[in-house]
Amino acid sequence: MKDVLTSVGIDIGTTTSQVVFSHITIEDLSSGFTVPRVEIVDKEIVYRGDICFTPLTSPTTIDAVALRDLVTRAYDQAGVAPGEVKTGAVVITGETARKENAAEVLAHLSDLAGDFVVATAGPTLESVIAGRGAGADAASKRLGSTVANYDIGGGTSNFALFDRGAPASAGCLDIGGRLVRIDRARGAITYVAPKIARLCNDAGIRCAVGDVADLARLRRVARAMCDLLEMSLGLAPKSAFYPTILTEPGHDVMLPKPIGHLMFSGGVADCVRDASREPFAYGDLGVLLGAAIRDSAGLSRIPRLDAAETIRATVVGAGTHITELSGSTIEYDASLLPIKNVPILKLSRDEEADPAAMGTSIRDRLGWFAADGPAAPVAIAFAGPASPTFARVQELARVIVEAMAPRVAEGAPVIVVTESDLAKVLGQSLRAHLGARHGFICIDGIAVEGGDYVDIGAPAAAGVVLPVVVKTLAFR
Amino acid sequence: MNEDDIARLVREVLADITARNAVPADAASPGEGDEAPDVTAVTTRDEFHVPHPANREGYLAMKQSTVARLGVWRAGPRYNTYSMLHFRADHATAQDAVFTDVDPGWVTGQGFIAGQSLCHSKDEFLTRPDLGRKLNDETRDLFRRELTRSTVTIMVGDGLSSSAMVNVPEILPAVKQGLQGFGIEAGPVAYVKYCRVGAMDDVGQLIGSDVVLLLIGERPGLATGESMSAYMAYQPRPDRPESWRTVVSNIYRGGTPPAEAGAHIATLLKRMLDEKISGVDLKL
Repeated sequence: MKDVLTSVGIDIGTTTSQVVFSHITIEDLSSGFTVPRVEIVDKEIVYRGDICFTPLTSPTTIDAVALRDLVTRAYDQAGVAPGEVKTGAVVITGETARKENAAEVLAHLSDLAGDFVVATAGPTLESVIAGRGAGADAASKRLGSTVANYDIGGGTSNFALFDRGAPASAGCLDIGGRLVRIDRARGAITYVAPKIARLCNDAGIRCAVGDVADLARLRRVARAMCDLLEMSLGLAPKSAFYPTILTEPGHDVMLPKPIGHLMFSGGVADCVRDASREPFAYGDLGVLLGAAIRDSAGLSRIPRLDAAETIRATVVGAGTHITELSGSTIEYDASLLPIKNVPILKLSRDEEADPAAMGTSIRDRLGWFAADGPAAPVAIAFAGPASPTFARVQELARVIVEAMAPRVAEGAPVIVVTESDLAKVLGQSLRAHLGARHGFICIDGIAVEGGDYVDIGAPAAAGVVLPVVVKTLAFR
Repeated sequence: MNEDDIARLVREVLADITARNAVPADAASPGEGDEAPDVTAVTTRDEFHVPHPANREGYLAMKQSTVARLGVWRAGPRYNTYSMLHFRADHATAQDAVFTDVDPGWVTGQGFIAGQSLCHSKDEFLTRPDLGRKLNDETRDLFRRELTRSTVTIMVGDGLSSSAMVNVPEILPAVKQGLQGFGIEAGPVAYVKYCRVGAMDDVGQLIGSDVVLLLIGERPGLATGESMSAYMAYQPRPDRPESWRTVVSNIYRGGTPPAEAGAHIATLLKRMLDEKISGVDLKL
């Protein structure tokens, strides 16, 4: 049993926007004498769109109509009809100010993006997506160690640390090549992002709109930006200014483990590798920032790996690496699918072990989601016992259904996500408790955390598995 | 030298050796009543003896994906004593699974209708597979009386592992719950002692149910003695080919969880009933 899912990735960045299409091949790898085991066996990028400048109507507003044209052209050139697309993601990345009209941009793309495409934003998820696209997760799995990726684009630097294939930490700094712009013809600075203006002010570097683009002075700006990257990795003591540069206030780059290898992706990564570019080739600070990173003694202390993708890391991550598969013995009502943006109510190991605590936790925390209405879907997630007894599964089903009763009465579907292999028997138990009519989805093999959202796609591989995208918003 | 002389000589030599090897009472050695450490207390997945690994965590993570004896290290070209003992202990577990009998009290306690194949003993069962595939006359009469023709007939057999019966109380309720969800009731459960897989064909012919499910102990390996297989067939008959059977194997707490397997089995049975087909023709 083989199935091919067409996946799209659309990255709308501070500087450039890109589209890729991929084929994700899934196959049952079981021997035929055991339960099925459907896994992703191949991911192939079948179309790489041109790298286009993100169309803008003002420095902080994306031209939604022009962007739609750009994406439509990519579909035409790739020969892909929107209906064929089964999974993937649209990601609006980079400078926060640009995200002002994100909702409008996404609305313009919604019919193009197919049935099941995640629309998303959020620095943490962007970081993980870029890290996957750069191949940091694969490298960390291969090396059996930690690999970090810094995706340095026009507006932000997205950090992600992977430990043996799994994301271990993520963070984001407002550092990018396009935060200072230069008119090459006039040789003058035309834009300085507010945080960079403060950085220069603190460091005593003159850098203001209208100033002459002085190479030596701009090198110092790039160097100051690179210093902040070093601070984020613990290679230099953090300055008083450092907290200001964090994209999300208070959300610093965390290093739960030392970095084994470091890689760079994003547009600036190309300028790190290639020393031959004109300083103002792109009318911004990208080339100089790349050079500063190349020359940084601090950063070169960490062994370096080349990223599999540089400027396309985010779009490839979104289009190719964001989709996971559920376990292959699961239970669900297909009529509920696809279902998007389901918030996760995560129970701890201690809570799931104690039926009374589990029920109380679910009831209490369902209140957090009250604003979305009593029938809005919420997924109950827990790791789940390994190889539980039938009685234990019955108890889990009973507790979940009892705690969800008010929502069930309002018509909300019951959605359960576990890590341990128990979704089929738990799902059938839920059906026994809920009655045959009430809709539910019970999947396993998916690890989520509180604060995450999940999108669950239409069935694949003859209904054996469901494609799942976990949208991580936070690391705890 | 006669036999008495030899016996005397042996006694003298042994006494001499014992005297020479005698250790002071306070030396650390297993005394009477002390038990040797249980080598099977640590599973092969968690056991790791490479002396100076470059990446211990990575190796252990890799070991979680297999029960193969990786990283057991060696003494020259041989196993270490510990690895050897673990290997022998696992082999003993497998032998026990094959050679012990299922407690008849457990069978009646489960409420099974208990019968037997044509085999009279464990030895005969192991040496005559053909007899293990047929029910004895008494059992035929019993099953004809007690097992009414139903949509699904469930059987349990000892097969080559009595230890695998530990899975039955987890699999059965999951199968029954799954079937109930589809509106299918299963009749009473039949138990066959000295059971080979082919016995389900005999039961199929005898009772005439639409599908027969047989939960049977698998031939144990060195990974576990508790693994169980579920064989299923649509209208099984002794003249049907082996390929008519569908099987879900590797059911135990370290493989496919028993309760989860039961739920999956219920879905497969439903598909067999819907498509009136089983085995390799049932496209999964």
